[in-house]
Formats: sequence, C-alpha cells, structure tokens
Amino acid sequence: MKAILLCAALVLMSAIVSAHHSSAGIDRSKSVELVGTIKQFSWTNPHSWMEVEVPDQKGGTVVWKVEMTSPAYLVRAGWKSTTVKNGDEVKVTVRPLRDGSPGGLFVSVLLSDGRTFTERPVTAAPPAQK
Amino acid sequence: MVKALMLVAAIGLLIPSQALAQAPELPLNPLAPSNLAKPRPKAPFDLTGTWFIDMAGSQNSWRFGPPPPANKMTPETQKHFEAAQKAAKEGKAYRDDIGQCWPAGLPLIMTRVWPVAMIQLPTAIYMVSHFMNSLRIVYLDGRPHSDPDVVVRTFNGESIGKWEGDTLVVDTTHFVNDHHWIDSGIPATDALHVVERMRLLKGGTVLEIEYTLTDPKSWEGAMKWTKRWNRVDDQEVTEVTCTPDLNSHIPSTQSEFQAR
Repeated sequence: MKAILLCAALVLMSAIVSAHHSSAGIDRSKSVELVGTIKQFSWTNPHSWMEVEVPDQKGGTVVWKVEMTSPAYLVRAGWKSTTVKNGDEVKVTVRPLRDGSPGGLFVSVLLSDGRTFTERPVTAAPPAQK
Repeated sequence: MVKALMLVAAIGLLIPSQALAQAPELPLNPLAPSNLAKPRPKAPFDLTGTWFIDMAGSQNSWRFGPPPPANKMTPETQKHFEAAQKAAKEGKAYRDDIGQCWPAGLPLIMTRVWPVAMIQLPTAIYMVSHFMNSLRIVYLDGRPHSDPDVVVRTFNGESIGKWEGDTLVVDTTHFVNDHHWIDSGIPATDALHVVERMRLLKGGTVLEIEYTLTDPKSWEGAMKWTKRWNRVDDQEVTEVTCTPDLNSHIPSTQSEFQAR
C-alpha cells in the first residue's frame, strides 16, 4: 500500500516538478504527435529538453522545442543521457503550446527499436537472487 | 608639482586628527571552532537530512495562497492578484519571475517541489534547495537580527532560530522588496515577516512547519499555513543553475506567454 502511495506521489511530482516556471502557456487538454528526428537532446538541470525536427507540408522542416523534467526524475523513469541521440528517428508526444507555435511539454517518446519512455517512474527490478 | 606635493603632505597630516569610522563588532560565523565549542543545551532534534514537500494530500499543498478572506489584500496586491487571474484565463503566466531565473525566496523555496538538504550544527542550520541551489542559513547561535541599516536584504531573508521545548521557532526578516512572490499575483515586500514553528514527527521522518506570514504592505493580518515534508534518503541535492540560455529551450517561458 505504501509503495502504491509513493508511486502515486512520484507521478504527481514528476508532473509538477518541471516547474522552474509557470506552465500557463501549455494546453494540457491537447496532445500532438511529432514524427521526426532528434536534432538535439540536453541532459541537464533544472530541465532536460529536446529539439525535434519534423517535416512540414512545404517540403521543409520545423523544429519543435520540447520541455522535459529534470534528470533526477528521468532516471526514475528509466532514462539515461544516451536514451536518445542526435539523428534518432522518433515519435514524440507533447502537450502543445496554446498559441500553436512549435513547442510543448514532453509526454512520451517512441524509439525506432520499439521502446517507449515517459517521465513516469518505473518499478525497479527486484534484486538478483544470490 | 611643488603645490601638489604640499597638498598631499597636508592631507597626510590631516588624517590622524580626523575621527575614524567605527566598524561594528561582528559575530563569529557558525563554522568558527570557538563558536561551535560554546556550551549550549542539546538540540531537541536534528534536521540533518534531505526533505521533500508532502503533496500526497493535495496537488496545491506547495502553495502559500491565495490569501484567505480574513487576510484582505492591500489595493496594490489586489491589482496584482486580479491581473494574475486575468493572465491565467488567457493562458499566460503573470510576472513569472522564477521562470526568468529570479530566486524563489522564502517561503516558496521550501515548497518548490524540489528536495531541500539540511545540515544542522549547534550554531546554525544550513539549507540548500536543489532548486537553483538556493542557500538559506538559520542561525542558532544566539545572535539577534542584524542592524537593518547594515544587513544585505535577500530573497530568503535573515533567519534566527530559537528552541521552545520540542519546537524550533524561526523568525525571518530583511527581505528584498521586488521580484519576490509568495503565490501567483501575491507579492512579498521588504515588510514581510515569516515565523516558522518546526517540529519533527513520526520518529523523525516527517518535518512539520507552521507558517505565520505577515506583510502589511501586501495583506492584512497574519496568514497561516501548515506544511509537511518527508525525509527522502534516495534523492540527491546536486548543482542546478539557471543559465542565460536555459529559457531559449523552454518555450513556455518565452515572452509571448508572459504577462507583466
């Protein structure tokens, strides 16, 4: 029971903890899927962030700026600094900016090898039996 | 040339006869061995550890607002508060100074949804928030508050702690007068006075602080809040800085989402 409460609290915290700032500009009622290429991924405090290059309808590309939580939380969600790399083809889900400009708050990433990463904590593997 | 030399010589002669400014006697710092070695009663508890605001009961438990009806806002604060509500409806942040790298300041730095490391000595408690590594020192060595004409005002203020039975009572004053908020649209001024009554509960695993906030330039009367923190042994407080390039990668901090 304690573990469930802790898990719930961590989910809640990871949703809020990215706040070194107000997120009033984010439309949390919407999701946008970005299919594109990682242009840059930064593993840094207080926020990690990524830029995703997405093809547009005019034959060019648009760079989306995606805000993430801090590495302390990403580690609990199974991330490493090498989980995504520049040039990786990905599908990233974000809560978009209200004004429609290309940016948003990170929800999840689907990698080309089929693995999905979010900011939610994952259960640690049980210790190996001796 | 001769004139200039004579002038210098004259000034030199004058100096000894002038009254020299007197420097105040400065207290020993909390890490001075002679301060640490002074005899003092044993502290009722030790806050040394890492603490995280308890948000299990409410998603808003980190907040210090909006003020209850009994704490009527001053006209100036009422204007800020209404502007913040209007901005929120428009999907904007009102004067999000923290998002622009200004320090959060007391009391928000304690509940900023980041862990806070505390190291307690007989003379002081050093607190470092993981959030921007904000430093707060609670002096326990018996010193009074500093001379208001000398003290350097800060976002976390000057904290003096005294033990009252099993409670640590911390009195904090000397705050800055701008870019400091206790909640969205609720400014703190240089008249802010914070009293914290700290207790350790549940075998030392829970820290409870009862806050009494007064700021006659911003609201009437004493605003009271009670917050809890859980001891977290698996979270680290490491280097976190708000660098000038940070916000260029964090789109919701950009100016189009900011209301001033």
